[in-house]
Amino acid sequence: MAGLLEIHNLSKSFDATKVINDFSLEVVEGTLCCLVGPNGAGKTTTLDLITGRIKPTSGKIIFAGEDITAKHEHVIARAGIGRKFQVPAVLRDLTVRQNLEVSYSRQTNPFWNLFKFRNAGLKEKLDEIATLAGLKDRLGERAGILSHGETQWLEIGMVLMQEPRLLLMDEPIAGMTEGEIEKTARIFKDLRKTATLIVVEHDMGFVREIADVVTVMHMGSLLAQGTIKQVESDPRVRDVYLGEQEAA
Amino acid sequence: MGNIYHNKTAQWIVYAVFFAILAVIPIKIDDSFLLNQLATYGVYGMLALSISLCWGFGGILNLGQGIAFGLGAYGMAMTMQMQSQDASNPIPPFMLNNSLDHLPLLWQPFQNTTAGLILSVAVPTLFCAVFGGIMFRARVSGPFFAIMTLAMLSAFYTIIIDRQPYTGGVNGLTPPSAFQFAGVEVDPYSPTAYWVVFCFLMGATVVAKLITQSSFGLVTQAIRDDAERVRFLGYSVAGYETVIYTVAGLIAAIAGCCWVMLVQYVSPAQLDVSFSLSMVIWAAIGGRHSLLGSIFGAFIIQGAQSYLGDTFLATWLLILGGFFIIVVRFLPNGLASLLESGLGLLAAKRRSSSAAVERNGDANPMPAE
Amino acid sequence: MDLGSLLNALILGVSIASIWLIAALGLTIIYGTAGVINMAHGELIMLGAYSSYMLQFYLGLPYLLCIPASFFIVAFVGLVLERGLIRYLYNRPLDTLLATYGVSLVLMQGVRLIFGSDPKYIAAPAAFSSNISLGFASISTFRVVILGVTALLVFGLWLLFYKTRFGVQVRAVMQNKEMAASFGINSGRIYMLTFALGAGLAGVAGSLFGVLAIVLPTMGASYVVQAFLMVVVGGGSLAGSVAASGATGELQSVLAFFTNDTFARFIIFVLIVVFLRFRPQGLFAQAGARR
Repeated sequence: MAGLLEIHNLSKSFDATKVINDFSLEVVEGTLCCLVGPNGAGKTTTLDLITGRIKPTSGKIIFAGEDITAKHEHVIARAGIGRKFQVPAVLRDLTVRQNLEVSYSRQTNPFWNLFKFRNAGLKEKLDEIATLAGLKDRLGERAGILSHGETQWLEIGMVLMQEPRLLLMDEPIAGMTEGEIEKTARIFKDLRKTATLIVVEHDMGFVREIADVVTVMHMGSLLAQGTIKQVESDPRVRDVYLGEQEAA
Repeated sequence: MGNIYHNKTAQWIVYAVFFAILAVIPIKIDDSFLLNQLATYGVYGMLALSISLCWGFGGILNLGQGIAFGLGAYGMAMTMQMQSQDASNPIPPFMLNNSLDHLPLLWQPFQNTTAGLILSVAVPTLFCAVFGGIMFRARVSGPFFAIMTLAMLSAFYTIIIDRQPYTGGVNGLTPPSAFQFAGVEVDPYSPTAYWVVFCFLMGATVVAKLITQSSFGLVTQAIRDDAERVRFLGYSVAGYETVIYTVAGLIAAIAGCCWVMLVQYVSPAQLDVSFSLSMVIWAAIGGRHSLLGSIFGAFIIQGAQSYLGDTFLATWLLILGGFFIIVVRFLPNGLASLLESGLGLLAAKRRSSSAAVERNGDANPMPAE
Repeated sequence: MDLGSLLNALILGVSIASIWLIAALGLTIIYGTAGVINMAHGELIMLGAYSSYMLQFYLGLPYLLCIPASFFIVAFVGLVLERGLIRYLYNRPLDTLLATYGVSLVLMQGVRLIFGSDPKYIAAPAAFSSNISLGFASISTFRVVILGVTALLVFGLWLLFYKTRFGVQVRAVMQNKEMAASFGINSGRIYMLTFALGAGLAGVAGSLFGVLAIVLPTMGASYVVQAFLMVVVGGGSLAGSVAASGATGELQSVLAFFTNDTFARFIIFVLIVVFLRFRPQGLFAQAGARR
């Protein structure tokens, strides 16, 4: 089975520093891949490269058989990649409802949208997602006044509204309570039936719970890949993590 | 429930009332000079509206709206000028004074009134589409875009002054007679002229309002909030910005045509930096997030300038500047936000008296940040 | 066309460049450090011209002393402006642009109320009104003086920003305000001082322009847009503004030699727009380029 997302020999340098170094990854459709690694390993940069926020120095990114390397952000998003940012990025001046509505981006052409006042199927979808994200009573509020946890949920909700084939979640459970983390894990496992996920996470407990495949990055390269058991017993991974713990 | 300020039905009712009042004016007033003046306020209202659409809803501060306005105005003036030329006398006098012995190519389409009108609106609109498209695609935004519009405005200003044989230079154009359309002369001091402006203002306002309520409007407001984030939702930010900037330019171009119809005059002063900035001041004081608020801002400021201006001629700019500073510093969303928070308080009071204390009345936070 | 007059145009270009540059210097400092778009910059230049005029007319101060005196007067105005208004708007760049435009209206009309709309003149020493002849080309002495003052100021600013403790602090604040604060650098104070410094530089420019042209309440308006363009093209750094002014000054002079002055300005404006389309970060991008 071919991967939904294939990254081939990706490299990215800022000036003289190589942030991503010859990194390759294949994510199979319908799986949940956790991207882990110490700080500065290049996890968020990898997401930036996939979503077109920055352009790679070399290498190739294939999504659903299509080369998306160096395409514009909105083109990549339209191809079916949704992203939740590490620092929750919601539209703070709009209401929660507007945030979700604008994320329901089936029609992205400005000219068509000029004449569009009702969005077919939006209401059901919005109800569903708002309930899932626990924001049903907060729809009329300005997103800027939400608590950190609520903002996290809103952004997860926004990504879901986009109905992407591939979801990139950058530290989705930061700032969540135990109960919320369990709920997130449940939702992610559910999502796997219809979509593919890449989750960047530090919390190894959470990773253990949700991951089909774990990919460990270190210094911009692939260190190890496999099931959580394989990865955790890998001596190189232990070195990297233990080394970091000593430093910390 | 909620703040009535955000209720769409209530908004449309207010719009209807507003235009009903404007429609009564020519029936009640028979001072033709006053009517002409009020009609020019309508033109300023259209300009403020265009700024509100572009800046308030699209987040694009445009300090060069005078380009679209001025090009529209010049097109209209050229059309009107050519209406007073005939076969025996095809060349406008100022060209003869500049020793041009034939009508320049640039002027020839304006011999036909319909073609002239189409060009007057199409040229500025096309300019906005091209200039905006180029700039937004390069991701020029915020203060940078404002400066670029300023540079472009200055470029037009200088070229119009420089090409005196074609543009009338500093003196501008003064078409000798009123605008004629389909055999009817539109006397600038007649109610007809007022109605023309009224219709365009109302049409522009309704279109602008519909745009802000459409899916398009929602996306532009999202872009205003965080353009970077919106890209990852799949929207082409540059495309949306170009469209809203161009629509605003179109409105300003129509305003330019109306203006020349009313005053029979155009000069480089219409492309002066200070005039474009006044448009921004109108929208800022009235409330850029409110279309009607911006139109009101134009009415208030220009009305005050005309009536207080006589008594406070020397201090008017001082008052205006000071007032503007205060608004920007303490009321960034203009006078309309006073109404918004007032109604919000009212709604909160009603809610807290009916229901038990359910969160604080923060549904309508003062735009204080 | 003869080579002599082209050479003359090139030399004149250097002079024009120095005028563009000195008008833009203060703005460069303010924009480069605090990211503030100060639309009142032209009016600060105008205030500089009026301060020199006042000092000369009422106190009989010699012109050469009027220049530094204008610096301090306008710097003080800038200080008041920063403390009273700008500091509340640092995180709202578009609002600073608007508010400072309000300030420019107030300053212009205020000066008009006090001094009237009729032009004033600043008398420069007789030695400045002569021409320096280089055989093939000649240039007025005063333009050489402007060039000299500009060069001196650029050198002074370079020393200040790259060789002093204050300069290190300014650059630290530019790079990262929060980080600088954690090293005990008071960014509010830095902003205040740079704003005053930038205003003072506008004052110097004004006292020079007042001799070059007549002194009018509206004289500032013509400088602000072009000064901005220099800063934006340069990318907000001192070296950038120097390079941008140099290139534009020469270009304008040469273009004006082939066409005329107004048309040359038109071409310059268009070229700048085209240039910024392809290099929005300016000639010399700064670390963490501002958008």
